[in-house]
Amino acid sequence: MGVVRPGQFVMMKIPGGEVFLRRPFSIYEYQQRVLTIMYKVVGKGTEQLSNAPKGTSVLTLGPLGRWFTVNRSAAPVVVAGGIGLAGMYALIKKLQDKAPIFFGCSSKDEIALLKDAMRFHPFIATLDGSYGFKGNVVQLFNKHLKGLNGKNVEIFTCGPENMVKNLKKLIEPHRISCQVLLEERMACGLGLCFGCAIKTTDAQEPYKRACKEGPVFDLWEISL
Amino acid sequence: MGNISIKLCGKDLRNPVLNASGTLGYGVEIEPLWGVETLGAYVTKGLSIKPHHGNLPPRVWEERHGMINSIGLQNVGVDRFFDVYFPFFKKKRTPIIVNFFGFTEDEYIACAGKIKPDRLIVALEMNLSCPNIKAGGISFGKEPRMVFDIVKKVKAVTKIPLFAKLTPEVKDIVDIATAACEAGADGLTLINTMPAAGFDVKKRHIPFKGGLSGPVLKPIALRAVHECAKAVPVPIVGVGGIMDAMDAVSFFMAGARAIQVGTATFIDPYAIPKIIKGVSDYLDANGHKTIDDIVGIANNV
Repeated sequence: MGVVRPGQFVMMKIPGGEVFLRRPFSIYEYQQRVLTIMYKVVGKGTEQLSNAPKGTSVLTLGPLGRWFTVNRSAAPVVVAGGIGLAGMYALIKKLQDKAPIFFGCSSKDEIALLKDAMRFHPFIATLDGSYGFKGNVVQLFNKHLKGLNGKNVEIFTCGPENMVKNLKKLIEPHRISCQVLLEERMACGLGLCFGCAIKTTDAQEPYKRACKEGPVFDLWEISL
Repeated sequence: MGNISIKLCGKDLRNPVLNASGTLGYGVEIEPLWGVETLGAYVTKGLSIKPHHGNLPPRVWEERHGMINSIGLQNVGVDRFFDVYFPFFKKKRTPIIVNFFGFTEDEYIACAGKIKPDRLIVALEMNLSCPNIKAGGISFGKEPRMVFDIVKKVKAVTKIPLFAKLTPEVKDIVDIATAACEAGADGLTLINTMPAAGFDVKKRHIPFKGGLSGPVLKPIALRAVHECAKAVPVPIVGVGGIMDAMDAVSFFMAGARAIQVGTATFIDPYAIPKIIKGVSDYLDANGHKTIDDIVGIANNV
């Protein structure tokens, strides 16, 4: 695999032969020729992948898609929700301690997602209050927003659609720049089929491909 | 590797393997893996007289042996295709087949009329699965009379050979094929996707409708190719669920002069180069010198 950048993804053929299309997975980490993905079992594909015995070969195509671009003159901030962290960890690692990290999930059971990211001291929110701040990650981030005032901040984010919507509402008045990693059902992953459409503000050609023009988009160019 | 070149509409193609319209983007996207010059000809994404935004997501649905798509014919429009993308095929000297569509007769006619003949344009391929807005939304390809009328009108405005791509959702595809040929079609592409729905048992509803493609379609396409090949004199391009070289060979034997590969590319982006090599190997291994040796050799039931 060539140079792998934070935010990129791979298409994987699910072993076992019963899942027809390949599945996209964010690249969690790539080092010393070892590719790591982190995923939640949500359907047939992820379930079958999770049942594959250790040592099973998995046809993998990548790295694919547009990545997060770190602007040196801006102060980076990471906001991640739940399994959205899977697409953010490579960036978190690249930024080292330069970025405050805000992470939210349902309960302390999901804190395990932070196993590698914990060393970068994330601020943590759980919806049920069983760990860290009680509430959602956007509310938690809001508490720290004042402290960022006056700084040229750039947010990097990935999480459930509601989280992204709330984040957008929160930062809109502050005109903070933000790159968002989006997901959409995909067929090819290569820009061939136009199946993974994301609606943007581009009047001429509103639907962009999550796999090609994305999966990382400028939040202010997305219609949410 | 044996010679698998073919002649289609008087043009020499290096091989009989094409992509199905809309399954290889604008041709440029596959470049990191293999180039469009690998193809016998590149079939464009469906083009319309004006750019078309396409449907709201979700646009794809998975089935056990295929997929359903509802892309909604998103495309940059015929003008922008020729401004932006055609030079790429010129540079690569790759022949193209221009797939196009419309929602009214006028749109078909205007689109076809805009395309100037070119050394590299093998044919136009008209997608007849579109709803005819002025006829209450029934697809152009459903009735022999409607097919005859639209093909005849399009033929009148272009000097480029014209292929009609037919929908399988018809009473008798041979009647439709015959009507297209009587109206002057120079060839047929068989078949388009089949209208289908995805079901969500948990929510007890149908969340998705679109066109079914993939291996589930192959036997339907093979039958259409076989029956139409016996009935009409024009070349037939076979398409529907071709996943490997033996699938391709079966289409040639059923009567197709060339084949298109669509959904297989999503499962394996190298499916097309593999099929090209596999077809050539098959000819070599069986002592055939050209594709023509096997076209239509299938015995009848």
